[in-house]
Amino acid sequence: MNCVELQQSLAEVEDGNSLEQRAHLRSCPACSALLRELRLIAAAAAELQSANEPSPRVWQSIQFALREEGLIRPQRNARPTLPSFSARWGSMRWLVPAAAMLLLALGIYVRRASLPTPLTQQAKVLVPVANASDLNDDDLLQEVAADAPAMRTQYEENLRQVNESIRDAQGVVDESPNDPDARRSLMDAYQQKSMLFEMAMDRSLQ
Amino acid sequence: MVNKRAAKLVAIGVIVAGTLVAESRREYHFAVGPRAGVSVMNPYGSILVRPSTSNTVVVNAVLHSDKVEVDNNQNGNRVDIQSHLLAGADAESGRVDYEVLIPADASVSLHSNTGSLRAEKLHGDVSLEGPGADVDVRDVSDAHVHVKTMNGAVNLDNIQNGHVEVDSLSGEVTLKGVNGPLVQVVSTSGRINYIGDFGNSGEYRLTSHSGDIEATIPEWTSADVSARSVRGEVHDDIPLQPKNHSWFAIDKGRAFAGTVGRVAASSTVVLRTFSGKIHLRKRSEKQ
Repeated sequence: MNCVELQQSLAEVEDGNSLEQRAHLRSCPACSALLRELRLIAAAAAELQSANEPSPRVWQSIQFALREEGLIRPQRNARPTLPSFSARWGSMRWLVPAAAMLLLALGIYVRRASLPTPLTQQAKVLVPVANASDLNDDDLLQEVAADAPAMRTQYEENLRQVNESIRDAQGVVDESPNDPDARRSLMDAYQQKSMLFEMAMDRSLQ
Repeated sequence: MVNKRAAKLVAIGVIVAGTLVAESRREYHFAVGPRAGVSVMNPYGSILVRPSTSNTVVVNAVLHSDKVEVDNNQNGNRVDIQSHLLAGADAESGRVDYEVLIPADASVSLHSNTGSLRAEKLHGDVSLEGPGADVDVRDVSDAHVHVKTMNGAVNLDNIQNGHVEVDSLSGEVTLKGVNGPLVQVVSTSGRINYIGDFGNSGEYRLTSHSGDIEATIPEWTSADVSARSVRGEVHDDIPLQPKNHSWFAIDKGRAFAGTVGRVAASSTVVLRTFSGKIHLRKRSEKQ
């Protein structure tokens, strides 16, 4: 089993536990490192899904630290500032770590794309990134609709355009993996999407 | 008929009177030292920032109803202003319009969802952010100017020696007389206009996925220029001295690269779009 076969088998069958996979992983540091990264991302994603609510102590500690630094002060109407984030966003509160995961995955991709590896290997790493462009879009639009109905159409249109730009930029990267302009365009497109989520979140917190 | 008209006038009078009663003004003063920091967070309404004549931050706020309050806080050399929406506030009743006077060397951070954001005649750092806010920054020097918008129009005029970064999704971005070590605009679908000389030996990077990019420069401009549109067209009205080699293929009609003016002390200009058009124009005397 070579590197390409192992990565194909990871996508289709197993997670590195078959005899063939184990034999290749023992002799290939690059594939071992890739598998470790994939497991790390999968474990982090699983934790995000299973966690229902961060402990109140987490919010209190953050609030206390910010107050000690003089960065926030008590609200006059005694509405807790930080807990409202999770209360108002409900399941959407994981957009920020999800966006961070998205950027992490993109970072791994960009790093790998810049290495002189065979194109077939690069193509494998692209798959999760392409799918990630749809991350939580519906949830975001529902939240905007609930919070600012008049803005929903604008967010929807901008989201459509930015997803299109991600697909186009991804297409150019696929055609020319060594084109630094193409990689930068892809990074810019993801950052624009991240900015859109950030703006929607800021709005919801008000 | 007369009675109906009188009733209408009375009704209008009541509405206007009610509006005037609900609208109120607040003024706050804060003494600050050199290079102070000022932040204004305003969900609905405009913010205008201008220089003050003393080391004082003066905040004039017009509140459009009693469903919104102004929270203010000074912590050392930092002043934070925030519109505090009360229960039932919406885009109209929660609106506050601010005029803020700050020492010219103070840095300022403004945020509004809907109103216009304006800053002028400053030389401290300026950060403006708002999904639907129109942004206008003029006569700023030696400072960072950072702008983030979704669909608001962005106008930057006479920014000298700036570190300028504009991120816009679909609003039109116009830079006039903007120069500095770094001038960068990233847009998804908005049009980008640059009118100026690409001065200051800086890096100028204008990027839009599907929006057009037009740069209008005078004859004395000195810059290395490269322009590329993956699916759109490029037009170049100015003779460029071709470069010996370029790292990307110069597909005629889709890309050009070369030097304008003197090679020494020139800036680097990168114009990129996926499906928009790029046009490099020579500025006429009238402009």
